Formats: sequence, structure tokens, C-alpha cells
Amino acid sequence: MINRPETRDLLAEARKVLLDSLVPELGGERKYEALMIANAMGMAIREQELREAGEPETTDVMLSRFLAGHALTEESGQGEQTLARVLRERTLDGGDRELRTVLRAMTETRLKVNNPGYLK
Amino acid sequence: MSALEDTFATFISRQTGASDATVVSFDKLSGGAIQDNFGLTLDLEGGNRPGRHEFVVRQDAPSGVAESLSRPQEFRVLQAAFGAGVTTPEPLWLCEDTAVTGQVFYVMSRAAGSASPRKLVKSNFSDEQRRALVRRFGAELASLHSVRPPDDSLEFLAMPNPDNPALSRVALYRRYLEEIGEPHPVLEWALNWLEDNAPEPGPTVLCHCDFRTGNYMLSGDRLTAILDWEFAAWSDPCEDLGWLCSRSWRFGADEREVGGIGYKQDLLDGYREVTGISISPAIVSYWEVMALVRWAAIALQQARRHMSGEQRSLELALTGRMVAQMEYDLLNQIQELEDGQ
Repeated sequence: MINRPETRDLLAEARKVLLDSLVPELGGERKYEALMIANAMGMAIREQELREAGEPETTDVMLSRFLAGHALTEESGQGEQTLARVLRERTLDGGDRELRTVLRAMTETRLKVNNPGYLK
Repeated sequence: MSALEDTFATFISRQTGASDATVVSFDKLSGGAIQDNFGLTLDLEGGNRPGRHEFVVRQDAPSGVAESLSRPQEFRVLQAAFGAGVTTPEPLWLCEDTAVTGQVFYVMSRAAGSASPRKLVKSNFSDEQRRALVRRFGAELASLHSVRPPDDSLEFLAMPNPDNPALSRVALYRRYLEEIGEPHPVLEWALNWLEDNAPEPGPTVLCHCDFRTGNYMLSGDRLTAILDWEFAAWSDPCEDLGWLCSRSWRFGADEREVGGIGYKQDLLDGYREVTGISISPAIVSYWEVMALVRWAAIALQQARRHMSGEQRSLELALTGRMVAQMEYDLLNQIQELEDGQ
């Protein structure tokens, strides 16, 4: 189905109007609320961009490889659940460099959506 | 609102024995996702407090978070802290009769100044003012930590693991994660690290457990009140010091470890001046890691309130999306601590 302009484009433009035209007219609690809305819209835009770039899948593949490499059976499509469970059970060495790389990749992928400015 | 202000004014005139109470101003104060706070200025005639007084009335919001105290418990903690010489609003009267407003509430004196974190962190303080303020924070915590168990008025506060309060916290946050029911591998990994690296505990003392920029008021460079006592608990003194130094509460001024205001050594110097105890900065760093895990768990609970429909709120929803920041800080901070060993 052709349905243009694309959702990401619509969201980006709506966010621009909100920030450029409406926020300067607002004060106090209303301004805070408008900025929260802009923040949520920004996350939705970035999440869509990252999905189109295949980044979450790349992180999932990295996690699956890590689990397989440590002879850990991943419940279908539940890599994060499996990793959280084996960490809780303390069957993984917390100092494992590869583990830390996977944890960092998962966290950074989420931060690229939620707050990319926070990444050093 | 007018019915509520009249109800509070009548309650206060009864407590003071005033023959009349005129409402000068009444407004809902900002902040407090867990409680509603109202500012109330009254002109009281007669009784034991004649004249104009500014009060704050604090009562429950629609829902709380798992570890917060009830209003009567919070009132008793506030009394204990005030009695120990901590700079808090004066706790005045507790009303446990829900027939009055539908909620339990209490009244305290209103402190002057601002608690706005971004405003305070951006204040143009001199180095000397920063040092004095942060030393004062240390001295305030030292006074609070002079309250020790057993204390009959605080019998509702659970005692931590007798061997180590840090391990009690690790167990508690594991339980929170279980209850939240979604996987957070970084938090599980950090909890393991906290379990393996728990330092020798200090004495068990009364801790505020949420003393951070945003929960105290300054008038100019003067501390006027430490607020929001609903998370108070018996714990290790370093829990309060670590929470205040956590990166989450620096509001962009990352180089100033103590709440974006000043430096850790000044905080510890202020603490030592009152207690005579020198706290190791390394132990405070350990508790900074604990603080990140705790804030992440609380943020997840807040997001859950939104997602469950208990309290639909954009602010709570966005708080859930902040957890990745705490996880990122955990990865960095634990690495830095290990590299420094």
C-alpha cells in the first residue's frame, strides 16, 4: 500500500511544529508537558530509523551468538530473558569480556532510541 | 480546591486553638509523583500560634511505589530527624482520620527557597560557596545518622541484614526485578557485582535514602530544608552518601559529583567534622553503583504503573525509557572501579 508521506516524515514534521511554534508560546507545566510529548515523538522517530537500519536485529544476533558460544539454550526469540536468567542463576562469569560487549551493545542500542545525547 | 483549603484551615485552627483562620493563599505545589503537596498561608487569630504562618500539607497521591512509607510513618521519621537537629520542615500535626479529606495527611512548616534541580545546578556559586554547601550536606547527614536503632517511635522500619545492609538491598532489588517481570540483564549483572564486592558495613543508622538535588531547598546559598522522607530506612550511612553522589542526580554537571553542586571530598570532610569518622571514597563509589540499580528499579516500577493502567501518565512512561541511562552508567562505572583497583 502506498501511503505517503511516510509515518516517520509525519512525526518529524509534527515534532518540528510543536518545538518551533508551540513550545515558545507555553510556560510552566504546559511547556514541560509539550517537551515531554516532543521527547516521546523523538523516540518514536529514532526507533523507526534504527529498525529500518536493522540495528536491533544486529544486537539480537550478537546476543544469540554469545548464548550459543556459551552453550546456553536460548528460548525461542527470548535472548534477553535467557541472559537475565543465567545471570540471576550466576552461571556466567560477570568479568567475561564478551558478556560485557553484549551488555554494552544492548544498552547502547536502546540509548540510541531513548537519549542518544547520553552516549559518550 | 476551596473546600479543601477550608478543611485544612479548620483542621489547623483546631490544632492551634485559634478562634479564626483566614486563608491568605492556597496552591498545589509542583513535584511529588507519590504525594500531593499543598502550600497554605493562614492568618490565625488567638490560640498558641497567632499571626501569619506558611504551612505545607502533604497527603497521598492516587498511588505510591513499593518501598515508600505511609504518611504517618513519614511524619514520625520527620519528627526523629527534626529532633536530631537535621534541617527539615518542622513536623506539626498528623491527621489519620480519613473522614476529614478522604486521605491521611500531615502539616509541616513551609521552608523558603527553591528545590528545582536544574536551577540549583546552574546557580552561579563561587568555589567557596560550593564547598560550604557540600560540607553542610555532609554535616546534615552526620546528624541524621546519629539516630540509631532501636527506636520505639520508628519500630515500623525493618532492620537490614545484620551482617550487611548492602546485601539486604541486593536481595530487595532482585525481588523488585522479579516482580516487574521483564528481563534486565545489565541490572542482574550489576546486582551480582554488588553482591561480590560488598564492603565491610558501617553502623546501622537512620538513612534518608532519597537525599539528592531536587529533594532539598536552598535560599541563595543557604540550606533551608531537606524534603521527601518517604524512603527513609535503617541502613548503612554510605547509602545516603552514595545516593547523593550518584550520576543520576548531577543534572548535567557531571564533574561535580555531589548532586551537581560540589565535590565528594568536601562532603566527606563535612561528615567527618561532626562524626569524627573518615569515610572511604571507594565505599561511597560502591554505593553510587547501588544507587544506579535502585533508581533503575524504581523507574521500572513507575513505568509499570503506567503500563498496567493503574496511573496512565506520559511522565511515568518516559521514566521507564530512562532506565537505559542507568544501565549505561552502570557499565561505565563498574568498569572504572575495576580499572582503578
